[in-house]
Amino acid sequence: MAVKAFSNEWAKAFKAEVNNSSTYKAAGKGWKWTVGLVVEAEPDKHFPDAKGIVMDLFDGEARDIKVGPASDAQKCDFVITAPYTRWKEVATSQLDATKGMLQGKLKLKGDLPTIVRYTKASQEMTLCTTRIPVEWPDEK
Amino acid sequence: MDVDSRAEVAYADDEPSAFASMLGGLIEANVRSHPEKERDFESLKARVGIWVTDIDEGVTLEFARGKLIVHNGLKPRRTLTIRADADTVMSLSNLKIGLLGLPVYYDEVGRGVALKLLSGKLKIDGLLPNVMTLNTVTRIFSVQ
Repeated sequence: MAVKAFSNEWAKAFKAEVNNSSTYKAAGKGWKWTVGLVVEAEPDKHFPDAKGIVMDLFDGEARDIKVGPASDAQKCDFVITAPYTRWKEVATSQLDATKGMLQGKLKLKGDLPTIVRYTKASQEMTLCTTRIPVEWPDEK
Repeated sequence: MDVDSRAEVAYADDEPSAFASMLGGLIEANVRSHPEKERDFESLKARVGIWVTDIDEGVTLEFARGKLIVHNGLKPRRTLTIRADADTVMSLSNLKIGLLGLPVYYDEVGRGVALKLLSGKLKIDGLLPNVMTLNTVTRIFSVQ
């Protein structure tokens, strides 16, 4: 059953996908930082308020993934920011996250060598988002 | 580790592209935290182009013995030009450095890069006369 985009149910499904991924488990070995995803508001797409996704990732495991205010996500060690439409493109495989970052479509804050070292883990996390059936607010 | 580095990274354009900022930031962080990379950075004089084929964007890295100027796009008089897709460019940053400071091409990441070179998905213009320069750039670029 589809879950509402960037809702608590979505976060729960995302955490389950990450923890089901043997690829992420191997590629994320040694990772010990929090990651925040900031989804910027786009009222014309029926996404009126910015949201923050806080991911507590540790050594190949998602210990917790929560949805809350954008300000919570901005406090994480690594922060990736993009408007709602961009994140939708990532989650529907229309935009590769690596390319998105190189093109500035997704804005990254944090230690660059660390994030580059874990490229495979971040690519697998992106794939995990694509496996979740989502009800998008602009498609109602 | 943050060493007392004199490494200087500057941008030629008023508005560096996201790719230019990312590469410049990556190299600056690498050099500032690894004395051996800083030694390479201090000695390197070369103009290296990197073109990412699947996003149609590139940069020219102008290394001038302890200083790097990052240009948006490919500029003339390049020593080396690397052309590859985004994934391969990220793989180049993940090459391990082995004995004698040479990139490791026998582990999973290295084999992937070597295969892309052999299959033409990774092209390096100016490689033959500049193998040592490529090795130096790879060491500076590598996050491993």
